[in-house]
Amino acid sequence: MVQEKPTGEVAALPLDDIIVEIKGMTFTRGSRKIFDDISLKIPRGKVTAIMGPSGTGKTTLLKLIGGQLRPDAGQILLEGQNIPTLNRRDLFIVREKMGMLFQSGALFTDMNVFDNVAFPIRVHTSIPEEMIRDIVLMKLHAVGLRGAVALMPSELSGGMARRVALARAISLDPDIVMYDEPFTGQDPIAMGVLVNLIKRLNQALGHTSIIVSHDIQETLSIADYIYVLSNGKVIAEGTPDVLKTQDSEQVRQFVDGLPDGPVPFHYPAPELMDELMAGGVFKC
Amino acid sequence: MLIDKIQRLGHRTLSRCAAFGRSGQILVQSIVARPAPLMMLPLLVKQIYFVGVLSLVIIVVSGAFIGMVLGLQGYTILVDYGSEQAVGQMVALSLLRELAPVVTALLFAGRAGSALTAEIGLMKATEQLASLEMIGVDPYRRIIAPRLYAGFICMPLLSMIFAVVGIWGAALVAVDWLGIHSGAYWANMQQAVDFRGDVINGLIKAVVFGFVVTWIAVYQGYDCVPTSEGISQATTRTVVYASLAVLGFDFVLTALMFGDF
Repeated sequence: MVQEKPTGEVAALPLDDIIVEIKGMTFTRGSRKIFDDISLKIPRGKVTAIMGPSGTGKTTLLKLIGGQLRPDAGQILLEGQNIPTLNRRDLFIVREKMGMLFQSGALFTDMNVFDNVAFPIRVHTSIPEEMIRDIVLMKLHAVGLRGAVALMPSELSGGMARRVALARAISLDPDIVMYDEPFTGQDPIAMGVLVNLIKRLNQALGHTSIIVSHDIQETLSIADYIYVLSNGKVIAEGTPDVLKTQDSEQVRQFVDGLPDGPVPFHYPAPELMDELMAGGVFKC
Repeated sequence: MLIDKIQRLGHRTLSRCAAFGRSGQILVQSIVARPAPLMMLPLLVKQIYFVGVLSLVIIVVSGAFIGMVLGLQGYTILVDYGSEQAVGQMVALSLLRELAPVVTALLFAGRAGSALTAEIGLMKATEQLASLEMIGVDPYRRIIAPRLYAGFICMPLLSMIFAVVGIWGAALVAVDWLGIHSGAYWANMQQAVDFRGDVINGLIKAVVFGFVVTWIAVYQGYDCVPTSEGISQATTRTVVYASLAVLGFDFVLTALMFGDF
């Protein structure tokens, strides 16, 4: 299937089996429109990356899919269920199918590494403790932190905390795993391992992975499909090969990391010279 | 100018109404959605330890000193009228009816209430609450409900401990130091104190105060702006609002319990 974007890019959608579909979604925070009537589809069992400059609402999009925020308009369909219309109870049932790696890790500070990873298993299953131990050790081994099993979150570095959070996010082998900046703060060795791990988990377990990341090379290397967001719109979409070869100025600016171009580097503001010439003191 | 002021007033009123609605929603959903007993028990025991047991030191020390001061002041005033034997009943009635529930609630708001707000606020700031939601666990059930119930359970117990220690502290001063006859001290107290009218009414006050203080504390934590400044302001609001609410409710309850209408 070939899709023509309003901006002129041509992209191929790899699958017709869609697990998450966003239709005409608008989300406003204060007076700022974060998303303006956007539509996108996340294919089942694939790695889909959401990319774009800072402040374009990539993390917000994950929170909208997870039902932590409600859009002003539009639909967010997860296997046909419209997330924003679910009641609190149904929402918690749906979330059992999801795993999310938060940007900060969001580990429970009153539990050690083992208990953090074991937490979702203990809450949602009645698996015996001996088996939980084995599962937790395997998940921690996958992220290279089996030796840190007894440490408290305060004893972990930022990168280690995020890897433990990743182990927790996949502890129940959910249908969808959402990764918010999984590569941030990782050393080159850990980053390589994580890139492989996300890809292998996706292939072995058939997870649907949604990755929000700024790390272009790493993300392009594992993503099956990519959406590029800017100014509340999807400015481009397609497979990594399609995006790499695109001539679109917007996509080239993002992929090549250029400060000047159609995607504004600056948060909306008056001209610098006008503001400096106006004088006076700063007022909110 | 006038329109702006009216607009601001209207906006503030609406915000307060919305905040009150949210706090009611948190209260109702936490009570309704409490965890299953087997899951609740360890969480509740842990919170009773943090909220109740760790508050014991400040409650016992304050109770002892307030009792000692009451004994000393009571003796100084009553001795002029030759009624120093009545110190026991004065101390017991003051503590059971008023001082134990009110002072315990104020201390509880300062120690446990502020700690609850700060803890929940920090959990929000570090995305632990959001993380719980995404794991499919309702924070109202897992985080808020055990803390609410722990507050409801601990406040009356702490109030009783405060009263007992206060009466003991007053006896220490009045009987052992100032020489009032021990039998007169305890007998007058036994004769004057009515179990239903004084002890139970004092307990009812403590239950109400525990409910109000814990509710305010968990709401402020859950609804705070998740920044260091936001948590600091929420913690301050907990202590201020809870203290004012305790004093206000105390007047209403006293009027209902002891007023002669």
